[in-house]
Amino acid sequence: MSQDHTELSARTFVDVHDIQEELDQVRWGLHQDGEGSEAAQHAAAEARASVCNLIAVVSNEPELGEVIHVLDRLSVTNPSRTLILLAQHTREADKLEAEVSAQERTESGHRVSTERVILHAHGEPARHLASLATPLLIPDLPVILWWPGRPQFDNPLFDDLCELADRLVVDTDEGFDDADLARLLEVARRTKAQASIGDLNWARLIAWRHVAAQFFDMPGMLARLAHIHGVSIFHGSDGQTAQARLLGGWIRSRMASVGIDVPLEFRPEDSLEHGVHRFLIYTGGNEGPARFSMSRLRGGRLSTQIRLGEQELAERTVRLESRATEELLGIELTLPGHDQLFEEALDAALR
Amino acid sequence: MAQAATPTLTQNILRDGLILPRTPDPAAMVIFGASGDLTARKLMPALYNLALNRYLPSGFSVIGVADTALSEDEFRAHMEQAVQKFSRSQPVDRAVWQSLADGISYVRMPFDDAAGYGRLAAELERVDRERGTNGNRVFYLATAPQFFSIIIDRLGAAGIAKAGEGWKRVVIEKPFGNDLKSAQALNQAIHTVFTEKQIYRIDHYLGKETVQNVLVFRFANGIFEPIWNRRYVDHVQITVAEDIGIERRGKYYETSGALRDIFQNHLMQLVSIAAMEAPPNFDADSVRDEKVKVLKSIHPIDVANDVVRGQYGPGWVGGQQVPGYRQELNVAPTSNTETFVAVRLKIDNWRWADTPFYLRTGKRLPSRASEIAIQFKNPPHLPFAKTAVEELTPNVLVMRIQPHEGASLKIAAKIPGPVMRLRTVNMDFFYGSSFMVESPDAYERLVLDCMLGDATLFAREDEVERAWGLVDRIEAGWASHPPAFPNYPAGTWGPPEADALIERDGRRWRRP
Repeated sequence: MSQDHTELSARTFVDVHDIQEELDQVRWGLHQDGEGSEAAQHAAAEARASVCNLIAVVSNEPELGEVIHVLDRLSVTNPSRTLILLAQHTREADKLEAEVSAQERTESGHRVSTERVILHAHGEPARHLASLATPLLIPDLPVILWWPGRPQFDNPLFDDLCELADRLVVDTDEGFDDADLARLLEVARRTKAQASIGDLNWARLIAWRHVAAQFFDMPGMLARLAHIHGVSIFHGSDGQTAQARLLGGWIRSRMASVGIDVPLEFRPEDSLEHGVHRFLIYTGGNEGPARFSMSRLRGGRLSTQIRLGEQELAERTVRLESRATEELLGIELTLPGHDQLFEEALDAALR
Repeated sequence: MAQAATPTLTQNILRDGLILPRTPDPAAMVIFGASGDLTARKLMPALYNLALNRYLPSGFSVIGVADTALSEDEFRAHMEQAVQKFSRSQPVDRAVWQSLADGISYVRMPFDDAAGYGRLAAELERVDRERGTNGNRVFYLATAPQFFSIIIDRLGAAGIAKAGEGWKRVVIEKPFGNDLKSAQALNQAIHTVFTEKQIYRIDHYLGKETVQNVLVFRFANGIFEPIWNRRYVDHVQITVAEDIGIERRGKYYETSGALRDIFQNHLMQLVSIAAMEAPPNFDADSVRDEKVKVLKSIHPIDVANDVVRGQYGPGWVGGQQVPGYRQELNVAPTSNTETFVAVRLKIDNWRWADTPFYLRTGKRLPSRASEIAIQFKNPPHLPFAKTAVEELTPNVLVMRIQPHEGASLKIAAKIPGPVMRLRTVNMDFFYGSSFMVESPDAYERLVLDCMLGDATLFAREDEVERAWGLVDRIEAGWASHPPAFPNYPAGTWGPPEADALIERDGRRWRRP
């Protein structure tokens, strides 16, 4: 894709009205006097496609740079208003800075523009950033809260932003332990929960779930699924187990929905790199023993095999996408409402 | 672990929540015309991309059939080259290709050779046995149209398409006949072997994301349908314009012309989806019932007054000097084949009575554009002093199919200042700006739909025959009046008569 990227404006502000004013200026391409040139207005009119408000919370400057990089690339497929909150609860004096900018891109002949506000708060304002974010959102569009890294579940800002958001997106592959997964489930199941939960790690598992489901789309195979008697998941032994737990939780929760308990076997292996490498489903019953296996290959591929008794059926190799963060986020942005399946998988993973 | 009581599963619960199409049953696809251009450019790249994206089932197999001297290895190598050249996903993944290629075989035979069908039957049995395709078969006729009936006949005689274990489907490329009589004859020939539910007549236009988007635009947005009728719409313009000539397709185009090449299929599809009522659901018959109702409602065309044909002469397109149609390769120097058609249609139903549909298609027009433009009526009265209704240009809603898929709405706005002055502005929306992702090729969608048994995006027998009925009427009207071709220079919007056709009604063609 051909790409052209222009930074239209970047200024710093501290007053919310000033920020709103500048957002209007950069959004509609107006000049200081409120009158825009015809060309500028036309350009702005062409670029008006926004799909959501996206709030990202970061805790330090290096993380800010990474997040900006991801959101810049995300804006190509999901033009949005982006608010990046850098809240530093230091002993420094209360301080609030805002930087407003607009980016204009041309991708394959289409012009897309997005606005970005970076709110940098120290001290007391850092606790109340939600009150500043609210008036800066584009009305009627969903609010997605992306919290890279492990969320600060006990930080009041986390609760305030969850109340504001329609969807909270995390990545459980970023060091989530069982306690973190449990907290996440708790957030999802709050009685007044407005925000649905999305997990980039869950999106990474789409290909595994897709291929596993495809085994049982095949004629005659569905009956075998009812006789599932075990699952083995081989994964890297780097201590990051959330992905394997979620995959196991997924199949266990699906089968539990029809009253079948599935024992899970997790096999961390030193020789394996990070993440899930092999997923085996064992079935028995009147049809005889069968093994359905999926193996991750080098180069972003997944190899699938079915063994019925001693007979190996046709193998196939398909793509196992190694998706960048912005692509995973993009998937999350298109999912509507609560993801019941994810919540059930999370629950089953913790049992 | 032993279960107390094993439940019976009626659906694949692992598929819950996956926003992905169902996986087709393992099947063998027999491609007639396997050494041809369509297989190389469209079919095999589509199959590769389906395999790459996990949409094809294990055991999926392809049997290429053609009369070209190729060994199985040479055929596979030829297909791999085609995928490398024409696949939208690059670079080609060797392992995925190999996994697909393991299921590719080749049968060399002339299409009318009964003995060849015996070999094909044996190959299908082998594939069923070794790859678990269970008798599920797609017969894809990617051949010249003259072979359609022969292939169907031989398939029937050899018992290959016989109902029994597994499903059997046949895919037929356009052109489906070249007039009503031949289309009916072809339908009859196919029906001796296949039922209507087994027949998938491809018009790849319907596989385009943007054509499907027209249906979503109309029926998933509550604000448009209430005004989508004769009360608010002044007229509709549908344009399928191409800036290219006939390329190397002179031989085909000489027998087809714009009427058969575009009007009978693409334009009729666009008229149907722009004018149809909302179907109760998106299943094959519900959608196609509504489309056929539109075709049935088209008022008999007055060819002398409501149709204009044209043929391009030499001219300039995009800064390039181009030859006239009669100077193109494989075109007769006195050819009377039309390269442009404009038609004024009336649709006799409650929604569209007295609301004309102006259609046009042509080669070597100034730009490439496919669009449906709904021009609304002016407001009956303007309350703003000294501003005449006539000064306003009407609201126009344009659904662009290509290029730059999207929609735009032309509206009136006040020019800033103390005086009430109005100006028309365009609100443009590009699908690309909101969904800047690569769309699958139309063939990927259609091949997958066929394997899943979903015929919604394929033409039905009555739909095809109705469209041919319109073409026949126009042809009959033209027969007694030889044209004076060429009558428009390449790089213009068709002959002056096309302008007169619409200007007679006090309207003008849009510049797409």
